Amino acid sequence: MSASRSYQCLSCRFKDLTTSVPKTARRQFHASTAKPARKSAFPNVSADKMGLTEPGVAHSHARVRPYTKREKELLAMKYTPDQMEAIEVGEQSIGDEDLRIQGRPRTDPMRISYFDDFSKVRPMVDFPVEGAKDEDVAALLKSGTTEKLVASKASQTRQQAAEALDPRILRLSQQTGMTPNQINALRVKNLVNHRVVNQTRMGKIQSLYFLTIAGNENGMLGIGEGKAAEDEDGRRQAMMNAIRNMRPVPRYENRTVYGDVRAKVGASIVELSSRGPGFGNRCQHLIFELARAAGISDLSARTIRSRNKMNVVKAAFEALMSQRLPEEVAMARGKKMVDVRKVYNGGSIH
Amino acid sequence: MSLVNLSHVCSHLQNASLARLGLTSIPYTRMHLSLSLLLQKQGFFSDVKLGGPSPPASCFPPGLRDDSRYSGHPHARSVAVEKDRETALSRMVMQRATPEQLLAEGFHKVDVEWASLYATRTPTQLQEEGVPVEAMGLTIENQPLELAPEEFADPNDLDTEGVVTQANRASRRLWLGLRYWDGMPVLRKAQMISKPTKRIWLNSKELGIVVRGGRAGEVKGMRQIGEMMAVSTDRGVLEARECAERKIGGMPLCRVW
Repeated sequence: MSASRSYQCLSCRFKDLTTSVPKTARRQFHASTAKPARKSAFPNVSADKMGLTEPGVAHSHARVRPYTKREKELLAMKYTPDQMEAIEVGEQSIGDEDLRIQGRPRTDPMRISYFDDFSKVRPMVDFPVEGAKDEDVAALLKSGTTEKLVASKASQTRQQAAEALDPRILRLSQQTGMTPNQINALRVKNLVNHRVVNQTRMGKIQSLYFLTIAGNENGMLGIGEGKAAEDEDGRRQAMMNAIRNMRPVPRYENRTVYGDVRAKVGASIVELSSRGPGFGNRCQHLIFELARAAGISDLSARTIRSRNKMNVVKAAFEALMSQRLPEEVAMARGKKMVDVRKVYNGGSIH
Repeated sequence: MSLVNLSHVCSHLQNASLARLGLTSIPYTRMHLSLSLLLQKQGFFSDVKLGGPSPPASCFPPGLRDDSRYSGHPHARSVAVEKDRETALSRMVMQRATPEQLLAEGFHKVDVEWASLYATRTPTQLQEEGVPVEAMGLTIENQPLELAPEEFADPNDLDTEGVVTQANRASRRLWLGLRYWDGMPVLRKAQMISKPTKRIWLNSKELGIVVRGGRAGEVKGMRQIGEMMAVSTDRGVLEARECAERKIGGMPLCRVW
């Protein structure tokens, strides 16, 4: 839910002012008595008392000793004044409890045998950053935007690498208007693959068929088919067709479909039904994948006739695309339609 | 109250929409009329007109009107324009009316003069030899002219619009103007709920459930976008939502979306 305040009438606001303190004692909501009144006849023993927990670690209330003056001087020799400032702020903001539980060196067998020094970026160990030097890192630490910059630089290099590597991705990005990064972030999944055979006078020619879906999990969905003699080739064709075919899916409240939709491909009939918030995508796996890729979270579906995988996927896609919007229906019938939720909930709908 | 006819109407409406018809007709009954008016109110039809076997003239836009007795549509003529030159000729040949009489009746002078040129001929002659006809600025000679006998003038109001008499009751039809938007019909589906062999009645509570998308017995919820359900009640044929609002039960007739 959005945090925006909903509309309140004047008398409601007055009510808020007048009755801030309840007049009577709190009402009991349960038939059984309140907790303090029903102490167990068999008192429990805490794990601490039995010596099952490490004493003085989790539940000790002793404060962790702060840095002494001498220790700070030693630290100042190693760290810049800005880093020192950061250390002090960190000391204040991290509670004793956290330090006791998490600030211990690991003792498990899978621990790493060295301590990492995060003040330096080592190109061999850390993710390579172009032209980053120790001075840059210090400057970045000051400005506090290290992560962003590192990430953006990394993505740029990755992007450049991809462009240099695959001209097909470049072409796809030119066709779709998406950056290679965005294409990379799409949810692409191959749903159907099988072998097909073309009978010629020369004999049987086999190829592999693939049906792939692509979606951005936010209202865009496409399906694509690919067929080739080589597995990799067909897979890529299907993926690229799916990305190229991406189209917007109408979603009610960005979570479900508008009303019941039905579509038929071949002998497969798919019926999609809208459901309430929190229902989930309770449908068969193929339709589930489609819904997830499209960013639909509440959906139920029936595939009442043939369950041929290819046709089911195609029919479900068609059903998603053939939704009628209430606004369109109202316009067609010459009606005026007003969404009252825009009025009553302070306009806080999707 | 035959549900058989209503079923036929439902499937006819679906077929007419699929065939992209602009104007179609259904038999006239009181239930069909109230259902049609309900659908018109919901915006499915552009107009509902009571007429005879052929569509009433008011269904057509005025631009298509042709007041000539012979080239125009037989019923697309208004009653006021019965004073054309063919009528004048017909009166002079068949009834021996004089030009003075016709002028006194209000016929136009030009028409009467034209008619008196051929008034001496017999109906057979007119049919065989014909008369010159002017069309698109050209005169075409010897166009056969058949004068309509008087008994063809629709004495029983079979084609008159909006009138129900004992004589024309059986041949009355409702002429419905179908609507289309964005290349698609506004009315896509019309399905029966009560069937001729199994009628269903719902009380107001059950109707409320159905209206909200739930299921009441055999009746599925209204889950299509823009779906409406016609319910036959003691207050007439109403929309299901209105029934639920006014707490009226009834027999659900059909659902349309």
